[in-house]
Amino acid sequence: MNIDLSHSLRARLLWFLFAAIILTAIAQAFIAYRAALAEANEIFDYQMQQMALSLRPGLPVSSELVDRFITNEDENFDFVVQVWTADGRRVFQSTELAELPQRSALGFSSVDARGTTYRLFSVASGTQLIQVAQDLAARRELAGALALRTAGPILVMVPLLMFLVWWVVSTSLAPVTRVQKQIAAREVDALTEVSEQGLPDEIRPLVQELNLLFHRMRQAFDAQKNFVADAAHELRSPLAALKLQVEGLRRAQSDAGREVAVNRLSSGIDRATRLVEQLLVLARHQASTATATGNTLVDLAQAARLAMADVATAAQTRSIKLSLVQASECRVSGQEEALRILLRNLLDNAIKYTPLGGQVDLTLDHDGDHAVVVQVDDSGPGIPQEDWNRVLDRFYRVPGAKGGGSGLGLAIVKAIADFHCAEIAMGRSTRLCGLCATATFRPGK
Amino acid sequence: MRLLLIEDDLMIGESVLDLLRDEGYAVDWVKDGDMAHTTLGTQSYDLVLLDLGLPKRDGLAVLRALRARKDRTPVLITTARDSVGQRIEGLDAGADDYVVKPYDLDELLARIRALVRRAAGRAEPVYTYQGVSIDPATREVSAQGLPVVLSSREWALLQLLMARPGTIFSRKQLEEKLYSWKDEVSSNAIEVYIHGLRKKLGNGLIQNIRGVGYMIPTVDP
Repeated sequence: MNIDLSHSLRARLLWFLFAAIILTAIAQAFIAYRAALAEANEIFDYQMQQMALSLRPGLPVSSELVDRFITNEDENFDFVVQVWTADGRRVFQSTELAELPQRSALGFSSVDARGTTYRLFSVASGTQLIQVAQDLAARRELAGALALRTAGPILVMVPLLMFLVWWVVSTSLAPVTRVQKQIAAREVDALTEVSEQGLPDEIRPLVQELNLLFHRMRQAFDAQKNFVADAAHELRSPLAALKLQVEGLRRAQSDAGREVAVNRLSSGIDRATRLVEQLLVLARHQASTATATGNTLVDLAQAARLAMADVATAAQTRSIKLSLVQASECRVSGQEEALRILLRNLLDNAIKYTPLGGQVDLTLDHDGDHAVVVQVDDSGPGIPQEDWNRVLDRFYRVPGAKGGGSGLGLAIVKAIADFHCAEIAMGRSTRLCGLCATATFRPGK
Repeated sequence: MRLLLIEDDLMIGESVLDLLRDEGYAVDWVKDGDMAHTTLGTQSYDLVLLDLGLPKRDGLAVLRALRARKDRTPVLITTARDSVGQRIEGLDAGADDYVVKPYDLDELLARIRALVRRAAGRAEPVYTYQGVSIDPATREVSAQGLPVVLSSREWALLQLLMARPGTIFSRKQLEEKLYSWKDEVSSNAIEVYIHGLRKKLGNGLIQNIRGVGYMIPTVDP
């Protein structure tokens, strides 16, 4: 039998409890035996002593050996009584067969005679010596029987106790076995919760944590599935556009028509490129958050300057005035590269939808609750209120918005904000009358 | 032939619009589900190109509403939704054909021709009446075996009349089928094209029923 005790709780419990039961039973039986034996010794000694003492006052003074016992061979006398005179003559002997040597020592002693050991008690009575002896073998037998009666029930209880322990351990661990079977029986992608009903307190937290993990995994799984479905769908549109634009170029008959077709094709390629770039950013962000080595304190002003450098060319070609307003020093705990992408995408979005010659402002400030607030205002047309939340969804584009957007820019902003426990809100800019996007980083989150 | 293009992707929309116009179709373009629904309720088309993922109202809802009105306009779904289940759903909702993006333009055009042909109740790809035959696929026209060159509008008008011989089209109807919203229609344009066609194909082909409209008779007079 090869049971790994370090792995099976049940086996470990059973083995250790069984061993404990057996060891305890043996120890208990041994102690009971010894105690019974000691007690028997004490009682017999007391009996011998009393017997000898009770003989003392009533002994005949005769110095002749009284020999009028009728020896009965069948009777087995445990006790032997002898009386000696001072000059060493035996004047009384309780049984013929048990002749013991005279001992001068008073009190208890042991004596070997006739192949066995006797326990002897001697007491002086005038000139006479009274000796009471008992065969130790007989005494041990009696004491042993007595001890066995005490220890016996313990040994009988052992199997009963073992069965009881087995039953308790098995029923206590039944929920664990059930959970194990439930998990073992599930499909690879089945991430439904395991039932917590009837679980002991020691295991419930474990199963609860497991269920939470299942829940999170299911969410991640679903998100991944949705993303793949969305991406497949969204990748088709730019490809369809490219295909049609190529067809348009092929069929163009005039130089002007070819010019239009080439421009369309080039913007189609730009759009596909942007989509792929944004998908890569998203994938990279997800990968980096999965293997995040830890956050650092990021100076948002520095990140903002880098982000503004990224979008400066785009702003310039559209003659958009870009400005950074920093009211106070803003540092947040997070990942510098991700925060730069967050700021860049917000600026990019603002620049893309702001008409030529417009204005985009990036403001860094604290609010009353010591939260860091990043705000991007633009002078564009803004977004209808019903779309304020939806624009953060992957691949969502405001109906009627001009083409070219991947539908991922703000979704990436949302993902990065979520990672930093920041809130993203869209609104109407009070200063520039366009869109106002704010990211609020609350401390201690 | 007047087509309705329902497409929310601007790049795809403008390309398809131009390519279909080059093929001689009059095309109107709407960019969301609500507009599509309204347009289909007020204007009749020879064919509808329907994208499914539309803002405001899903393409399938537009299609179901159209069929609920017993409208038999051929509908060709062009979408990025490519699963078998989605195709089945689209066709069962009342679509006549289903093309997955990105599609080949020539295939799309062939499917449009096939649907238009079927909707006119015919199967043969080349129409021939009174010695005049037209091939919508190649846009070749011949009269008495000799090739004839037509202008784009003339071709569109001839195709319209040849597709449904025996049907009288009023001038208004012809205008509606030949011009989309953005085209400006001059008052005597149809007469000018009819005149051009008669000159190239002979006077007998297109008959004018005074006060009613124009037709190509099914039997020789």
